[in-house]
Amino acid sequence: MNFFLIAGIIASQTLGENYKNRFFAIFIVFAAVLIYASLLVGVMAVDEEARVLVDSGLALMELIALAYALMAAAGTITREIETKTIYLVFSRPVPKPAYLLGKTAGLYLSCALMLAVMSLIHLSLMALRGFALPVFYFKAVVFIWFKLLIITSTAVFISLFSTSVISTVTITAILWTLGHFTQEAKFLIEKSSGAASWALKATAYFIPNFGLFNARDLGARAAGGPGPVFLFIYIFLWFIVPYLFSLLLFRKKEF
Amino acid sequence: MNATGENIAVFSGVTKIYRRRGFVSTLETTALNGLSFELRAGEITGLLGLNGAGKTTIMKLLTGLLFPTAGSVSVFGLPPADIASKKRIGFLPELPYFYPYSTAASALLYYAGLSGLERPAAEKRLEAVIEKVGLKKHAGKKVSEFSKGMMQRLGIAQAVIHDPELLILDEPVSGLDPLAIHEIRTLISGLNAQRHTVFLSSHSISELEKITDRVLIMVEGRLAKTVSRQDWERARGGLEEIFVQTVKSDGS
Repeated sequence: MNFFLIAGIIASQTLGENYKNRFFAIFIVFAAVLIYASLLVGVMAVDEEARVLVDSGLALMELIALAYALMAAAGTITREIETKTIYLVFSRPVPKPAYLLGKTAGLYLSCALMLAVMSLIHLSLMALRGFALPVFYFKAVVFIWFKLLIITSTAVFISLFSTSVISTVTITAILWTLGHFTQEAKFLIEKSSGAASWALKATAYFIPNFGLFNARDLGARAAGGPGPVFLFIYIFLWFIVPYLFSLLLFRKKEF
Repeated sequence: MNATGENIAVFSGVTKIYRRRGFVSTLETTALNGLSFELRAGEITGLLGLNGAGKTTIMKLLTGLLFPTAGSVSVFGLPPADIASKKRIGFLPELPYFYPYSTAASALLYYAGLSGLERPAAEKRLEAVIEKVGLKKHAGKKVSEFSKGMMQRLGIAQAVIHDPELLILDEPVSGLDPLAIHEIRTLISGLNAQRHTVFLSSHSISELEKITDRVLIMVEGRLAKTVSRQDWERARGGLEEIFVQTVKSDGS
């Protein structure tokens, strides 16, 4: 049977289970409350209300979507193993690479859905206040999703050797944080020498550069930033490398 | 479909050791030790043993969920992890678990899809199978609202949705009420009458006596005895007496 068809069936099931899960609704409600509360911050900014409302809304959306993505990705496979639902999958003609691809794609779609719902809430509030849509808004949301794709793939990989969901979330959250300090890391690498420089350079390869996806900053600058081909290759590499390493770990896994 | 009596699954000198790695040492538990037997097409073969005798390990090895530490397992002449052999197998694990937010119908369609059935064929099979297991009224109900008996019926439905040649059932009647046991027994016999080979484990000796052609008695990971229907029908005390004697003599 078609490899991608099986991956598609698993992705669709993963998406369905994720959005029906009460955590999805809880995250959305939480996001709605926080985004609504950001109106107060906007009002206090007086002349800059529109900009503050956009910035704080996007930042909140990113943080909430990140928390959701980490929770969902860290537990998606381990939960299936613990609840033994995986028995009914792998006693069938399901190739392990198709399963992993399907699970990851399902998580990507779940994150996209969460971002879409939060954007809708955010945009509705903006419209209510009578503010126009900033030109970079959709690009910013798509770039948040790109960051989530990278972190989700990494979390799925880490969850396969991590001892618990909490440790997966912690390790991935650290990577996320470090990924926003790549400019500072570059500065440190330039200033260091010898073994320290080599160690820092080697470490840098294992940390995603989220600075590439800060669309709010890129929007503030009139031009510049990496091109779409570079970004596509960058995201693809951050999908395929964790995926291949996950396969290595998963290939001989017993249930 | 294989000819009746032909070997469709073969265990040859299979040993399975579970290893649990600690900080300092590795804990090893031998679940199966040099196990050899075969399953014949068209038969209902039972697996009987005390807790920890290795029954579930055998089932998992047959479905490719575990790999043998030594020896070999083949199903339809292929390794159990091979996709081609998995297409011909239906598996009911002990206490089957489903995705809690799925309905019975959507869960069955999902598993039918994973087994390679196209959507129209899957929908057709769904109608027939859900009726056969007595869940037609509950097709739209969430799995999380199901009782244990309904879960077991749904478990059997997912195992047969793709019309497999070999059915592997781990404790299919465990925890069910007498009426449900009767219905599931009838269902298994009916499937066997349609030339499905059935391999099932159970703690219930009377159940195995009623429906199996042959019973494998496991003691501490070894095959202690293979008993045919004629054997227990001839013996005083039936299968129960044979089992007790075998466990006592082999386990001591």
